[in-house]
Amino acid sequence: MNDDYLWNKSGEPDPQIQQLEEILGTLRYQPKPLKLPEELSTSRSRRNHFPWLAIAATVVMALLAGGLWLQTRNYDASIPAVAIAQPADPIIGPPLSASTDAPKRIKPRVTNYDRREALAAKQQLMFALRLASEKLNSAYRRTQDKRSSHENTLPN
Amino acid sequence: MKTLFQTKLAAPLLALLLIAASAAATRAQDSRLQLSSLDHLAAKASQSVDVNIDERLMRLASRVFSDQDVEEREIKKLVAGIKGIYVRSFEFENEGQYTAADMETIRTQLRGPGWTRLVNVMSKKEGNLEVYLLMNGETVGGLAVLSTDVRELTVVNIVGPVDLEKLAKLEGQFGIPELDIEPAKPKTKNEQ
Repeated sequence: MNDDYLWNKSGEPDPQIQQLEEILGTLRYQPKPLKLPEELSTSRSRRNHFPWLAIAATVVMALLAGGLWLQTRNYDASIPAVAIAQPADPIIGPPLSASTDAPKRIKPRVTNYDRREALAAKQQLMFALRLASEKLNSAYRRTQDKRSSHENTLPN
Repeated sequence: MKTLFQTKLAAPLLALLLIAASAAATRAQDSRLQLSSLDHLAAKASQSVDVNIDERLMRLASRVFSDQDVEEREIKKLVAGIKGIYVRSFEFENEGQYTAADMETIRTQLRGPGWTRLVNVMSKKEGNLEVYLLMNGETVGGLAVLSTDVRELTVVNIVGPVDLEKLAKLEGQFGIPELDIEPAKPKTKNEQ
């Protein structure tokens, strides 16, 4: 038997080989684009969105943090200015500060409530300081009294 | 296979970290006394004072002190750095409305590390007065004053650095009104 047909398709073909070639020829490689299953393509697209979502979330968080920080800063800076902007409060009394460059820094966000809270805190603070001072002085005075009375009782 | 760190060192290191963290947390609030155990006395008292000024209120209050006014400027300097002031004061109509155990809950806290009793004046006539300081090295990190009389109980707690000399000078100055909290002293023969 001549094997040349098997190597390079020259020579006399074997009918059985030819028949096999015809049967198997239908299964030969056919070039065509790859088609992925539906589920696989969907999950892949989700994975692709994840980094963008993470970046967007980070940016939003940073913006929120920055906004909060700015709000706190403005709130801190604005209390004395508001005290001047609203001097005629019948409940609270006269203005607290005499700064003259305040009008430009007035923040409408700070309400009378904040000012009242600050003044109430100041009153409480003064009271507590006064009480602490009084107790300290009392302790000092009584210690001195005891010392002097002890010295007076000592024999000369 | 587990490493030496996982088998032998992980648990002790974790415990050390926890201890360090709790110590740091304790240090941050060490001069703040827990005064809530005295709250039940308010129902028995004829007059009670409850002052709670935390760090936020301290900052808020210090902003409304005028920089133009000399007296207020001095007070502002005094309170700069103070993180809080807490007061519980009760006046009673009758004697025996509070017990030694009430004061002991406060004294127990003042036996903690760092606290030193600076003054202890005991008098049946004028009541007892104790002044405690929390020392952070060379500086004062907190103050506690315990004042008890038969019909009065007062606790003052200042958290943070405080200048005692300036604080003592505050009484009767800067337009701060008299509180008239001290019980009336018996008149002397000359006054009568």
